[in-house]
Amino acid sequence: MGKTAELLPGTLDMLILKAVSLKPLHGYGVLLRIRQISKDALEIPQGSLYPALYRLEHHDLIAAEWGQSENNRRAKYYTLTAAGRRRLRDETAGWNRLASAIAAALNTTPEEV
Amino acid sequence: MFKRFRSLFRVVTRRRDFEDGMSEELRFHVEQWTEDLVRSGMSREKAARLIRMEFGSLDNVKLDCREAFGVHLFDELRRQLSYAARLLRKAPGFTATALLTLAVCFGANLTIFAVIDSVLLRPLPFPESDRLMTIFNTYPKAGVERDGSSVTNYYERRGHIPAFASLSVYGYGTEIVGEPGSTERLQTMRVSPDFFSTLGLGPAIGRTFTDEETTSETNHVAILSDTFWRQRYNADPNVIGKQIRVNSVPRTVIGVLPPAFRFLSSDARVFLPLAARLEDRAPSRRHSGGNVIQMIARLQPDATLAQAQSEIDAQNEALEVDDPQAKMIADAGFRSLVVPLRADHVAAVRPTLLLLEAGVLVLLLIGAVNLVNLLLIRASGRVKELAVRQALGAGWRYLVSEVVVETTLLTFAGGLLGLAIGAGGIQLLRGLGADRLPLGSRIVFDARLALVALVAAIIMGIVFAVPVACFHLRRHLGNALQSESRGGTSGHGAQILRHSFIVSQIALAFILLAGAGLLGLSLQRVMAISPGFQSDHVLTGQILLPWADYSEAGRLKFVESLMDKLDHLPGVLSAGVVNNVPFSGNSGKSAATVAGHVRRPGESARGHYSYGVAGDYFRAMGFSLRAGRFLTADDSRRSARVCVVDEDFARYYWPHASAIGQGLWDGSEAGKDAEAFTIVGVVGGVKQAGLTESEAQGAIYYPYAFRIGDSVFVAVRTSLPPESFALTLQKVVRQIDADVPVSDLRSMDTRIADSLVAHRSPALLAGLFSGIALLLTSIGTYGVLSYAVAQRRREIGLRMALGAQPGQIRSEFFYLSLRLLAGGVILGVIGAWLTGQAMQAVLFHVPAFNPAILAGAVFVMALVSLIACLLPSQRAARISPMETLAEE
Repeated sequence: MGKTAELLPGTLDMLILKAVSLKPLHGYGVLLRIRQISKDALEIPQGSLYPALYRLEHHDLIAAEWGQSENNRRAKYYTLTAAGRRRLRDETAGWNRLASAIAAALNTTPEEV
Repeated sequence: MFKRFRSLFRVVTRRRDFEDGMSEELRFHVEQWTEDLVRSGMSREKAARLIRMEFGSLDNVKLDCREAFGVHLFDELRRQLSYAARLLRKAPGFTATALLTLAVCFGANLTIFAVIDSVLLRPLPFPESDRLMTIFNTYPKAGVERDGSSVTNYYERRGHIPAFASLSVYGYGTEIVGEPGSTERLQTMRVSPDFFSTLGLGPAIGRTFTDEETTSETNHVAILSDTFWRQRYNADPNVIGKQIRVNSVPRTVIGVLPPAFRFLSSDARVFLPLAARLEDRAPSRRHSGGNVIQMIARLQPDATLAQAQSEIDAQNEALEVDDPQAKMIADAGFRSLVVPLRADHVAAVRPTLLLLEAGVLVLLLIGAVNLVNLLLIRASGRVKELAVRQALGAGWRYLVSEVVVETTLLTFAGGLLGLAIGAGGIQLLRGLGADRLPLGSRIVFDARLALVALVAAIIMGIVFAVPVACFHLRRHLGNALQSESRGGTSGHGAQILRHSFIVSQIALAFILLAGAGLLGLSLQRVMAISPGFQSDHVLTGQILLPWADYSEAGRLKFVESLMDKLDHLPGVLSAGVVNNVPFSGNSGKSAATVAGHVRRPGESARGHYSYGVAGDYFRAMGFSLRAGRFLTADDSRRSARVCVVDEDFARYYWPHASAIGQGLWDGSEAGKDAEAFTIVGVVGGVKQAGLTESEAQGAIYYPYAFRIGDSVFVAVRTSLPPESFALTLQKVVRQIDADVPVSDLRSMDTRIADSLVAHRSPALLAGLFSGIALLLTSIGTYGVLSYAVAQRRREIGLRMALGAQPGQIRSEFFYLSLRLLAGGVILGVIGAWLTGQAMQAVLFHVPAFNPAILAGAVFVMALVSLIACLLPSQRAARISPMETLAEE
């Protein structure tokens, strides 16, 4: 495992939405998928994954359905709802704006001031 | 938002599924992870330890999940509910008082609201019923406020008033329906063809009447009500085309109305076409309404009442141009008024109902104040507990929700009990004559009402929580922990609040008491009015003689033989017949013209009560003779043109001379001399429509032969109790004709008593409300004073130890309650005076400010509140200094 970064508050929901948007996943799958798409750079605090999933489901951003896992076990699969898709788009745009603004700010050299 | 509630609702209703699903999901996660770790070469034990470390406690995760889903709120609610229930069980005295107060207040409010709802609020059972109007002719200057409409009005207006989409007329009646041998007397309605389309609700089976069916030759058709169809025809779907005998005339059934059809308060079972001869539709008959035929109309969707009124006014004006009687009609102040149908129907009872509603609302207010007071007292007993809990970190949100849960539980339970009391109250109201109110038969206790009550109960619970929560949160923790721990006196502000609650309670109860007193006095004044005849020992009943079976001669013969038979019965002192007895509920006026009377400018023909009498009617009813003689049985046989008038009539036309020997004509025009009736007697004035009738309109009594109608009332003066004669009277009538029933059999005393129901029932209810209010107020006063005594035990004990006498302590509390009483009474007198003003519409000759009533109310109020404070002050005086000081 390489170097992992601490999650910023509020970013977990965004990552879950992104993970689920690629393909319906069960809870454990969400964890693996975030690790995979962040190239192992992000470590999810295990205890807060499920409360986040339940919150998103309660707010109707993801929908849950029971299905069969790869090894034929019963598992709860999450998919993105229309509202979830909208939310993901907004949050992604918002994040990108914030990130580039901060990057620009941090890259400022004395000459530019 | 809605979706979130739905998902929450799903989870709460299937709580087990939610929990199972969550456990299974987490187990799956842990197992998958373990497998992955084991596969990467870790030992099972090490993997388990790692997972425990990373995951934390599974129970904590579950807790967080529940919270994320909002489920925890329900767990919390359940916990708080059981806590509140436990607290309430621990204080049975408080809980019982509170529940009883709530139950009585809710019950009383529910009962009156049920009446208000059915009479004033719920729309009539027709589509867009707010567009239904009624139109009636009025001649205020001739003493005729309401004259219905004439057939001529109908034919002239139909289709000519653009503001109306539809216009029709109807008349109520009673008819003998059925085959000979199995007849029954039923309420009926005669209606014009467009009656059902005006209402917007027509027959469920068959058709309505047509214009061709509006003459007496072609009107042999009938429409049945749903009830009648089910009872008489067993809901036969092939009833159309069958024959039904109405007043011995066979008619063809052409339609059956839907079950929901109910026109205003009418209980009509059979509907017949309103037939009118061509001459009855002529302009000369325009003002012949006589309050027999009523008109209704439906406004066009875009039309207003004012528009309709101005169109009617314009048409009336145009039509009166070539009316020979135009001058007289104008002098009489003639107008045709357009009024919303429902408002018109309930106009007479509206003020009384609103008054009663105000009364129960005041009761509810008293109960609410009482309860808030009791809750605050209870809260101050728990100050320490709550302060400790707050000090230990209980959040204010949690404490507030705890208070809300407790008060709402209380009010909800009270509301449930109130439902039971309300259901009983509605039965009680029926006994007091509520179903005889206009639209009163619709009064029901249904789910809608129950829902309103329970929602109100919950809202009230939340409202009650506000002062209690404020009381707890506003306190400074340190102070609370210190001062109350040693049983010191409570905060000054709280005490003032409690006392002002008591003052307002006393004031409100005083207002109710004074209002009930005014209603009672009003009732007493009405009952003290003499009806103008001796109402005891007189039995009266109505007999219907259908035209088909009885010609005018036949009717005369029937009346003659009835009089003959009655006169020879033992126990009968005298017997007579009249078109209409006083207090029968329908009394029509008609015009008369007095010979030699020159109308003063602006004076129109006057409407007078006009009757035909036979037999010994005047003696049977116990009229008093002022001059001349009564009409006797001989007068009805001889057909001499004589008549008797009452003193009001005589005084109006001959204020300074005798009426005896004067002549008059029946109708609004003077006729030939030979047709004039000679006045042979003057009798005392009689109340015709009700005891409160103020305008003496004058009455004329003709021999029955000149005023034959299809219904007569028989009046029998007996030496026995009149009710015991009812069976004999029915038997006598059956001997003459087995198919003619006697209906509406009541003694005159009963008729008068029944006519007072509009005065008696409100007075009784107001009395009941003020009784409850007094009880609640005394409970409230007692509660607050007992609390004050308990609070100051230590102080009183100390003072007594230092030499204070029990009498001093007692009088101190006594003066406190006197002060509260004085404050309440002063506010109450002001309130009672304002209430009296507002009540003028329902009071009879009772001024708003009646010193006797107010003095009585002060006395009762003082008695009740002093008794309520006696016990606590006695207890204060008996406090033992040794015990109280030892307690600390």
